[in-house]
Amino acid sequence: MSAAPQEVFRPVLFDGYDPGAYYDEMFSGPGEPRPHYAKMFQKLAALAPAQFEERRQLADLAFLMQGITFTVYSDGQGTERLFPFDLIPRILARSEWDRIERGLSQRVVALNLFLHDIYGKQRILKDRQIPRELIYSCQHFRREMIGIEVPRGIHTHISGIDLVRDSKTGEFMVLEDNVRTPSGVSYVLENRLVMTRIFPDAFQACEVLPVNNYPAELCRILRSLSPRGEQAQMVLLSPGIHNSAYFEHSFLAQEMGIELVEGRDLIVDTGVVFMKTIHGLKRVDVMYRRIDDEFLDPLTFRSDSLLGVPGLMGAYRAGNIALVNAVGNGIADDKAIYSYVPAFIRYYLGEDAILRNVETYLGVRDLSFMIEHLPELVVKAVGESGGYGMLIGPAAERAAIEQFRDRIRANPRNYIAQPVVGLSRVPSYHAGTRRIIGCHVDLRPYCLYDGEKVSIVPGGLTRVALTPGSLVVNSSQGGGSKDTWVLHGEC
Amino acid sequence: MPEMLSRIADSLFWMARYIERAEDTARILDVNYHMMLEQSDPHYRLRWEPLVVMAGEEKPFHQLYTEANAYTVFDFLAFRADNPSSIVQCIAKARENARTIRERISREMWEDINGLFHTVNRFDAADEIAAGPHRFCDTVKFACHRFHGVTDATLPHDEGWEFLRIGWSLERAEATTRLVDVQYHNLLEGLSVAATPDNHQWMAVLKSVGAYEAYHRRYHSPIRPEKVAEMLILNPLHPRSIRFTAGEVQAGLRAVSGTSAGSYANEAERLTGKVLEGLRYDTIEEIFARGLHPYLSDLLRNLRLIGHDIARTYFYYAVVA
Repeated sequence: MSAAPQEVFRPVLFDGYDPGAYYDEMFSGPGEPRPHYAKMFQKLAALAPAQFEERRQLADLAFLMQGITFTVYSDGQGTERLFPFDLIPRILARSEWDRIERGLSQRVVALNLFLHDIYGKQRILKDRQIPRELIYSCQHFRREMIGIEVPRGIHTHISGIDLVRDSKTGEFMVLEDNVRTPSGVSYVLENRLVMTRIFPDAFQACEVLPVNNYPAELCRILRSLSPRGEQAQMVLLSPGIHNSAYFEHSFLAQEMGIELVEGRDLIVDTGVVFMKTIHGLKRVDVMYRRIDDEFLDPLTFRSDSLLGVPGLMGAYRAGNIALVNAVGNGIADDKAIYSYVPAFIRYYLGEDAILRNVETYLGVRDLSFMIEHLPELVVKAVGESGGYGMLIGPAAERAAIEQFRDRIRANPRNYIAQPVVGLSRVPSYHAGTRRIIGCHVDLRPYCLYDGEKVSIVPGGLTRVALTPGSLVVNSSQGGGSKDTWVLHGEC
Repeated sequence: MPEMLSRIADSLFWMARYIERAEDTARILDVNYHMMLEQSDPHYRLRWEPLVVMAGEEKPFHQLYTEANAYTVFDFLAFRADNPSSIVQCIAKARENARTIRERISREMWEDINGLFHTVNRFDAADEIAAGPHRFCDTVKFACHRFHGVTDATLPHDEGWEFLRIGWSLERAEATTRLVDVQYHNLLEGLSVAATPDNHQWMAVLKSVGAYEAYHRRYHSPIRPEKVAEMLILNPLHPRSIRFTAGEVQAGLRAVSGTSAGSYANEAERLTGKVLEGLRYDTIEEIFARGLHPYLSDLLRNLRLIGHDIARTYFYYAVVA
């Protein structure tokens, strides 16, 4: 028996890696990992490029075989595609996470109080903390919700709040709130599952906080809302297999052990919702709906919707079914209303916001400034998401800027503008050059609110712009994701 | 017990049927192709046409090809996207059904069927046609067995499991019925009176339902067509005989409705009971006296009606409350 040849340790994986001008989550300087990244850096740097490549392929295969895909419609065929996954994790130091957690909890509670107020007594309008026109002109404001007493007073059961780290200050800021039907949490859980299979040793060494309590906690909240108490029939309402987030719908239904239903499985009779089973109609008590408000009930909202359930709003109004999230939440994540959230926090809680907003200009308030400074600003349509309806001024051509100028003048309420935020970066694998390069990331933590406390999955979804230099992290625009770790100890 | 949505029962039933259809087609293709290779007497040269008839897809076949031979039939039955019953299409549809109910089946089942879908799509039709069907058919056959195994070992044996059992049993009953019907016609009625039936071909029939060894253990005799028919129609224990599979359908239906033996809760159960009575008490001699083809045609019609009645009873809410 001869001894195996000793491999010479050479950190080839990060050879020549340049953290660049942006805040790098992993390195404080060239070749200098931050303390909370030290252990993972050693693990990764010890890998030969071939070993890294092997693990990367293993991960891709795992996602393909589990059918963790999203559907792309642009090619007319509804092709299933893998959501690109990058092997190098995004790690957050515990102290930093604790602060984020406090900030998010505060924000979710304030958003909930705002919704309860705006569809109830409207104190905030009477106290003139926010212009009445801004509320009534929002396309997601639902007059039908006024006066509806939602179960346990909860509107924002599930919130996905997008955070970014500004490279200039190194500080986490809130980029936008998502309190309608935020998606992506299934990727958090699946990414983790795949990572534990691929880097089992790293998890032992780093003491990563677990994320898998989310479905159980969500299920507990759903059950607590049942109008019939413990006897709760819970369902997840999905638009069906052709929806791009279908994987997530079925994943969550399975993890919670609740029925995944489509509109055609349900029927409303005398103000009660039933589902069609092989043994007849069975009453439904709680619905986690993954369908937008306007498609929920063709009798109340869009009459051409085939996805919803006729009469559902009547059952909701009568208190015979709980909906999660509540109807009408779009008023709270409107991008113009967003700029008032720090004011809500002060108004409802008497506290200063722990997490700051990105500076925001409103079309209705700051029109002339916006028009003048368009080439330096990011412009967003207030009701859009997924990276649509956006202009990135510094990267845009003159014609596009002119077009936006006209659009904003024509409908100022519909637009906001923000300075370009230099998102922080994490080393990521670039398939084209087979090298590790710094890619911009954001962070979407998932917050659950049971009416008393907010519980948040440690970390959340890190989306990464895998196109070099790109600041757009959306999956529809070439973005991928990373497993996100919050460490148990300080380092 | 969790509630079973009608839509989910429907998808489970069809997922099972498509998996079974893929396996049945793979078996028939594999066995017949290899029998042909061993067959030198041109008189008994295996005719490919009947395989297309068994699949019930003559019309699209003739729109695509001018003649039925080893290549066109294999291409058509295994790969063609425009043949709704091709193996690749069946697996795609089984997987599509699984995808709509993946929260209801086990993770292992989903990963298994999703893996199979990707596997068969990696086969290149031209390469496989050149290499002969064995490699492809064997992969499909064993993958289907594996799926049965994974299902049995990971899915609670609740109502959902019963719908799977009903689905694949009903599909298998239909497949065996068509096989016996078509092959009898093909192998006997085409021959002159003087000619003796060909052992070789009947071996193929037995092997295509995995009953070759069982036949020998049961009869200890040379292969005789009427014994083969008896084995495939009336044998109470062979898992692909019509009687056995009809019994499985009945057991599944009763488990869902909770009906006890001797009565029925719906039309599907009534018909299944009636079919099964015949299969239990008819003899092969009686069947031949009545005429095998009319007997099997009746059976096939009843099996199809049972399928429709199951859908009417459990899957459709035709009248809105």
